[in-house]
Amino acid sequence: MSITETAPLTAADYAAVVDEFFARYRAQDVRGMAELCTVNADFSYPPFEMWGKQRVLRGDGKVGTVGRAIWTGLIQAFPDLTNVVHRIEANDDGDAAVQVDIAGTQQSAWGAVQPAGKHFSEPHLFLFHLNEEGLITSLTAYWNNAGISQQLGHLEVD
Amino acid sequence: MSPTDTVSSFLRAVGARDVESALRTVDPNVRVNFYGLGVSGTGVATLRPVLADTARAFPDLLLTVRRLMGLGSSVIAELTIEGTQADTYAGAINQEKHLDLNEAWRFEVDDGRIKAIDAYWCQQQLYRRLGVKRFDQIAIV
Repeated sequence: MSITETAPLTAADYAAVVDEFFARYRAQDVRGMAELCTVNADFSYPPFEMWGKQRVLRGDGKVGTVGRAIWTGLIQAFPDLTNVVHRIEANDDGDAAVQVDIAGTQQSAWGAVQPAGKHFSEPHLFLFHLNEEGLITSLTAYWNNAGISQQLGHLEVD
Repeated sequence: MSPTDTVSSFLRAVGARDVESALRTVDPNVRVNFYGLGVSGTGVATLRPVLADTARAFPDLLLTVRRLMGLGSSVIAELTIEGTQADTYAGAINQEKHLDLNEAWRFEVDDGRIKAIDAYWCQQQLYRRLGVKRFDQIAIV
């Protein structure tokens, strides 16, 4: 019996995975994005808050439930949703950070923002952790919703 | 001193509202982007008012570092900023509202000095916490 050892993944390997994640996002391949993540991968979009009369919906949970639903909803509201990756940085421990602009033209309602056919492009910072198999185990993103709302012509804070 | 150590020193000083100590960890030609505030530029003269305004408006400022991610010469800090507004901030008049906001700051560090800061947070959340109703009427309650 022999045991085959594979070389541990490097920062470059992890960077390649997150680069592929944004390629699939550009292709609007939500299923493919999720396939780069572990089944139970954590998902957190801290700026994502939808305030209702009784409760606040937050963008925290799992990629397979909350993440996929948000990505799918975004693509429905912004059918030309795309991204421009500016910088990918990673380390050998499986951490990665991506500075990326997310952009799109609104065709249907997104939260309280009614469609006016306007375009947005907003800088985002995505943070990832990947396991030794190169799968994403957690994903967090930060951005400024005020910038997006104003570009879409929505001037109400809520 | 590692890049992470430099960033930790900077953030400790910011949390202590000690702007001048924070600036001592920063290169004079630092490049800054505070996307939520719409502030970008180079030099300490661009950074100082951002830090000073925060220190002035939130005298009980509490800065909690939730995660530091070292990526070679870059460092990512995930922060929570908390405090009670006591003065005008980012155009919002003081209604003594409590602020709690999760943020992420990316730093570039070289030779023990911070060369670049890109700070990401949601200004819509910030205004919501401070009681602002409209982006075009920030100073109106």
